[in-house]
Amino acid sequence: MNENLFASFAAPSMMGLPIVVLIVMFPSILFPTPSRLINNRLISIQQWLIQLTSKQMLAIHNQKGRTWALMLMSLILFIGSTNLLGLLPHSFTPTTQLSMNLGMAIPLWAGTVITGLRYKTKASLAHFLPQGTPLPLIPMLVVIETISLFIQPMALAVRLTANITAGHLLIHLIGGATLALINISATTAFITFIILILLTILEFAVALIQAYVFTLLVSLYLHDNT
Amino acid sequence: MLQNLVKSVWVPMKPYYTQAYQEIWLGMGLMSLIVYKIRSADKRSKALKGKIFASSKGGGQKTPSYFLRTRCPMA
Repeated sequence: MNENLFASFAAPSMMGLPIVVLIVMFPSILFPTPSRLINNRLISIQQWLIQLTSKQMLAIHNQKGRTWALMLMSLILFIGSTNLLGLLPHSFTPTTQLSMNLGMAIPLWAGTVITGLRYKTKASLAHFLPQGTPLPLIPMLVVIETISLFIQPMALAVRLTANITAGHLLIHLIGGATLALINISATTAFITFIILILLTILEFAVALIQAYVFTLLVSLYLHDNT
Repeated sequence: MLQNLVKSVWVPMKPYYTQAYQEIWLGMGLMSLIVYKIRSADKRSKALKGKIFASSKGGGQKTPSYFLRTRCPMA
């Protein structure tokens, strides 16, 4: 039972070959490229959604920050689509792997920090000391701010991993409980089934929210450094 | 195929890869350095555990000298 619970998080392989790369690349097929001036309904809806998201996300940025528009939109689309596809039964979700999320978080966070150090060195270094700090507290606060800076990529990755993994585990557990209770008590099984449906709706929301939170935080780190 | 790849991917993305994402390439370099350090430490500790296990199975043999080796130059 315990082994089965975590089996869905193991990296999949087919005939001995790892197919994680194919699974990671799969969501890009679901976003068709606009090829005409006036496209079909699906592509038009896709363009409208991307425009809505990019307008809202890039409103706070200056010209330098807006060069990251393609990266931020790709990020939210990739994480959102990967999380949603992971809600299909028996599918593998790449964003449950900490290695994958660290692989996204570290380069993007480091990119924002290096951008800040390169173009606005003094302002970037000034972030280590909040305005109005009392003199005796300065050394301690600089240490605290440095630690909070280096924790940012870890928090980004672990937040996404933990939320998606926890949701999938809960669905497994409550689904298993529903099946086990069918023979014991139909009423309890029905209540558990209702809880499972509500949890699945919650997981749909969490999938999209976590994609938005990841991208928004990267956007905020970029805004601090540009 | 390569020509098609260059025309459809490299040509539109060139300003991003060469100018906009310079800092992200540096971040990817940092990440690959972290991955390398973690992997090599893991390999070293697994090799160490294997040697200790082999020496303890041999019975009564001297503990390998690199068990006591540290990074500190004073050691």
